[in-house]
Amino acid sequence: MRYGLTLMCVSMLSFPARVYGQTANSAQSDEMIRALLDRIDRLEKRVAELESHSSAAAAPAPAPEPGATVAQLPAVAAQPEAAPIPVPAGPHAHSGMPDMGGPSPHIEGFGDFDFAATDQHNTHSGFSEGQFVLHLTSQLSSKVSFLGELSLTARPDAGTGSPPAPGFNVEVERSIIRFEENDYFKVSFGRYHTPINWWNMTYHHGEWLQTTISRPEMVQFGGSFLPVHFVGTLVEGAVPADGMNLNYNFGIGNGRSSVISRDGDWGDINNNRAWLIGLFSRPSGLYGLQFGGAVYRDLITPIAGQPYREWIQSAHLVWQKGNPELIAEVSNVTHEEVGGAVRANSQAWYVQAGYRLPWFDRLWKPYYRFEYIHIPEADQIFRTIPSLAGSTVGLRYDISRFVALKFEYRNIRRPDEPRVSGAFAQTSFTF
Amino acid sequence: MVRRTQVLSGSCALVLLALSLVFSLPGAPLSSDAVIIANPDVPVGDLSFNEVRRIFLGERQFWSSRLRIALLLRAPASRERDVMLKAVYEMSEAQFRQYWIGKVFRAEAASAPQMFYSDEEILGAVSAIPGSIAAVETTRIPKGLKVIRIEGRLPGEAGYRLR
Repeated sequence: MRYGLTLMCVSMLSFPARVYGQTANSAQSDEMIRALLDRIDRLEKRVAELESHSSAAAAPAPAPEPGATVAQLPAVAAQPEAAPIPVPAGPHAHSGMPDMGGPSPHIEGFGDFDFAATDQHNTHSGFSEGQFVLHLTSQLSSKVSFLGELSLTARPDAGTGSPPAPGFNVEVERSIIRFEENDYFKVSFGRYHTPINWWNMTYHHGEWLQTTISRPEMVQFGGSFLPVHFVGTLVEGAVPADGMNLNYNFGIGNGRSSVISRDGDWGDINNNRAWLIGLFSRPSGLYGLQFGGAVYRDLITPIAGQPYREWIQSAHLVWQKGNPELIAEVSNVTHEEVGGAVRANSQAWYVQAGYRLPWFDRLWKPYYRFEYIHIPEADQIFRTIPSLAGSTVGLRYDISRFVALKFEYRNIRRPDEPRVSGAFAQTSFTF
Repeated sequence: MVRRTQVLSGSCALVLLALSLVFSLPGAPLSSDAVIIANPDVPVGDLSFNEVRRIFLGERQFWSSRLRIALLLRAPASRERDVMLKAVYEMSEAQFRQYWIGKVFRAEAASAPQMFYSDEEILGAVSAIPGSIAAVETTRIPKGLKVIRIEGRLPGEAGYRLR
């Protein structure tokens, strides 16, 4: 068999030479000859592989031990003499660690440009620049790493002068120094996106990462329903748990400031630390599924009025393999007046579904989201947040691997207000 | 006319040759298997398929407290990368890139898997980097590298899942 195959290959090798002699002046023939030669090269390689296999089959190797070298592997042949192998060069080629000269930060970025037109009174349609986000990571040792996220946001009042001119507002969104002992125990300090909401922890400020243009109202940047940021320390880890792949986190920090949409970057406003516990699972048997929940406890000291104890319970269920994409989250926020009888529960939830169409290179992804926020009148802390019911329908088109175009229509209804509809477009990217 | 006849006959012969190669040897499609290899200091020799997935997804990042896992992969358009994307990640190339950009962005991993453009490069890296693990498709793996069984099976054996 081996000799037969070899003879066939030899005869095939002589064939394109004849073809070439007759058609040397034809570009089409040249192309065909090159294709044939490529095919022959591949077949020769294939013959070599199969001959190696035949030899191995003729004299079966003993069953390899776990972790055996390839000399014992039935499918591949050992290299008779281990030739010196070139080792990739570069400071990060071996271990991903920086060389001894100092840290080597790695920078990535996200950006977006938007267009909006709504029927809301006192608003104008037009273009706007989204956030310009820089993301920095630096592996400081095999166990210590740093992550930073910096955003520049166009605002009508971020400039100088009186009244302030439009400009860009700079903010350190995340700044985290992390020590990793192993998979089970990682401890970090810094400013985080509070890990009590899946969206907040997954997409951060990377608009390109999320399917939609807009975030759910419950985790809007600058919003108040959930504390988006958290300054303090976090302990995290993961255990296989017999295929359940349980992940935990426990954090303690400053919690909300007196302006409840902000966190206590410059210090806590009281002597009561906020704390949180989160637990989620990514079961091996249902690859793509994640579900979990978290609790958060804080003492809110508003600028005016009585302090309130805050309890937040949240849960999420996510199927994120792309087809379909399904995200569902719910949060309940309890505010309890300290030394008083006022107690109120506010809820928010959303469900989002997307489906990447199988045609046109799978570049188009329609989606829909329904969201709902309920704020009772008794909730004095959230008295400025209106209840809401809204639908978002849209289409995402991935122009390239790192650039997306999104088109979105939103319809939002708030109590005692007219319905607001709007059309939005966005190009978002990573660089 | 003569040229076309010769080309056609050559093509037919090539097809016949390919078919004869494929069907003449039982278990022939061995080269389509991806082989999981590791640096010799990696303290495992057999992994479940789910554990392989956890490792290559970056969800498991340590072999032990003293040894971090270093993920290595071949560059796009290589056969073994295609096998890993299909069998382990269940993602397209675009989804794979987005997955790792997001993972690094969430601070869940320090970096995406290192990428190599040839067998020689990736084999050399596995030899040199403590804790490294890679998926390769090659018939010439140097002695000394550890071949990881998956569910107790090696490439070419029935039930091997990385193909």
